[in-house]
Amino acid sequence: MRADTARRLTLLVRHNMVLRLRDPGHLVSYLVMPMVLMLVFSPLYQAALPGGGRAQAVIGMLVMFSVLSLSVVGTALLTERTWRTWNRLRASPASGVEMLVGKALPVFALLVLQQGLLLLFGSQVVGMPVTGTFALVLLAVCVWSFALLAIGVALAGFVRSHGELAAVSDVGALAVSALGGALAPISMMPAWAQALAPLSPGYWAVAMLGAAVSGDTGTVLRTALVLALVGVAAGALACFRIGRGIGDLRG
Amino acid sequence: MLEALCLTKAFGPVHALDQFTLVAEPGEIVGLVGHNGAGKTTFANVVSGLLRPDGGRIRVNGKAPRAARRLLGLAPQHLALYPTATPRETLRLFGGLYGLRRRSLALAVDEIAESLRITGFLDRRVGVLSGGQQRRVQAAAAMVHRPSLLLLDEPTAGVDPETRQSLLHAVRARAEQGAAVVYTTHYLPELTELGASIAVARHGRIISRGSASELLDGLPGEVRLAFDDEEVRVPTTDPAATLARMLTGTTKAVRGVDLRQPTLDDLYRSVAHAR
Repeated sequence: MRADTARRLTLLVRHNMVLRLRDPGHLVSYLVMPMVLMLVFSPLYQAALPGGGRAQAVIGMLVMFSVLSLSVVGTALLTERTWRTWNRLRASPASGVEMLVGKALPVFALLVLQQGLLLLFGSQVVGMPVTGTFALVLLAVCVWSFALLAIGVALAGFVRSHGELAAVSDVGALAVSALGGALAPISMMPAWAQALAPLSPGYWAVAMLGAAVSGDTGTVLRTALVLALVGVAAGALACFRIGRGIGDLRG
Repeated sequence: MLEALCLTKAFGPVHALDQFTLVAEPGEIVGLVGHNGAGKTTFANVVSGLLRPDGGRIRVNGKAPRAARRLLGLAPQHLALYPTATPRETLRLFGGLYGLRRRSLALAVDEIAESLRITGFLDRRVGVLSGGQQRRVQAAAAMVHRPSLLLLDEPTAGVDPETRQSLLHAVRARAEQGAAVVYTTHYLPELTELGASIAVARHGRIISRGSASELLDGLPGEVRLAFDDEEVRVPTTDPAATLARMLTGTTKAVRGVDLRQPTLDDLYRSVAHAR
C-alpha cells in the first residue's frame, strides 16, 4: 500500500513538474522583475536606512514578488479545474492527499528556487550582507514558501476564474507586501499602518527573512511559528474546500 | 461486472437519479440512452466515485466504487486532458496511476495507441490536436489499464466517422476481452454496431431495458409510397400487410416503395417522449 502511494506520488510530482516547467512565464518574470527593482531601489533604501538598506531592498522585493507568485500557485490548481482534469484524477486510484501533494510539491520547489535565487542575487550582486547560516535561511525560505503555497491553494479553491484569481492575488499581494513592510520599512509607515502590519503575513515574512540573513535564530523561530500556523490554517481550509471536489459534477 | 441497484441522487429539488438500476455483465456492452438530464452523467459520476449517491448500492466486481477504482476506466463526457502534456505522457500517467509499471506500462501504451490510431501523434502536445484526436486520447486514457468496467460517456460526441470507427472497434475489443462496458450516447446506430444491449433512462431511472430486437418488437415502422404528385407515409407495426392494403386501394401509378423497419431512433423517440 505504501509502495503504491509512493509510486503514485512520484508519478504525480513528475507530471506536475513537467507541466510547470512548460509554462515558465510567471516564474521567469517574478525572478527578473525583483532583480531589476533590487538594483534600482537599493541606493534609495541605502540612503533612507544606513546599514540596513541593502537588506530592505532585497528582502522587500523578495517578499513582494513571492506574494505575487500566489497567482502561480493558484493557477496550478485552477487550470486543473478548467481542464476538468482534477475530477478525472479523483476517479483514479490516487487519493485526494496524493493529488494535492503531487500538485503542491513542484510548486513548493519552484517557490523555494525563486526565493533562493533572489537571495543569492541579493547577496552577490546587490551586496546584502548575510551572516546567518545556510540552514537558517533555508528554514525561513521553506516556511514562507509553505505559507504561500497553502494560501494560494486555498484561494484557488474559492475563486471561479483566472480573472478572479489574478485580481485577488494582485491586489492581495500588493496589500500584504505594502502592509508587511516590503515596500517601505515599518518604522517609516503611518501609525495606523504600523498597527495593522502584524495582520499581514508579509510582515512576519519580512521579519523572518531579515532575521535569517542576519543570523537571529530566536526571531526566525518565533516568526516561523506564526507563518507555519497561517499555512496550516490556510491548508486546512484548502483541504476542506478541495476535498469536496472542484468543479460542477451535476449531469 | 457492474451492479448498480436502486440508486438515488438529488441536487436540491432535482432528482438526478431516482431508483436507477443497471447491471452490466462481463463482456456485455450496455448502451445507455436518454435525453439530456435523464441522469446518465450523474450515474457515471456516481459509479466512478466522483459523487456519493443518496441511496442504493453499487458493486464493481463485488467491490464498492472507491475500492474498485483500479478496476474502472472512465472517459467523461467533456474532455478532461492536459493540453500541455503529450498523449504518451497522459497515457503513462493514467496507466501508472492504475498500477501498470515499466515494461507492462510501455506495452499497454503502445497497444492502446495502436488500437485507437494515435501512434502518429503520441509525442505532440494534446492542446494542438484536433477534437477527434483528443477524444481518442481521452478514450485511450480510460482503457490503457484494461479495466474490468469501462464507463464511456458520449465518447464519440463531435468526432468524424473515421474516429468513431476506431473508437467503436476499441470498445468492442475491450468487451471481447471481458470488460463490462456502459456506453452513453445519442448516436443510436453506434449501439447496433456495437451489438449492445440497451437501457433507456428517463427522469433518473431506467424505464426500458433489453436487446435491440426485444425493444423494437411492437414499435411501428413505416411504409412510404411515392406517386407522381405526392408521397404517402404510414406508420405500421406490420409493413408488409400495410403495403399490400395500400397498393390494393390505389389507382395511381406508384413511382417508389419503401418499407422501413423500426429503428433505435424510433424507440428513443417513443420512450423518451412517453408521458
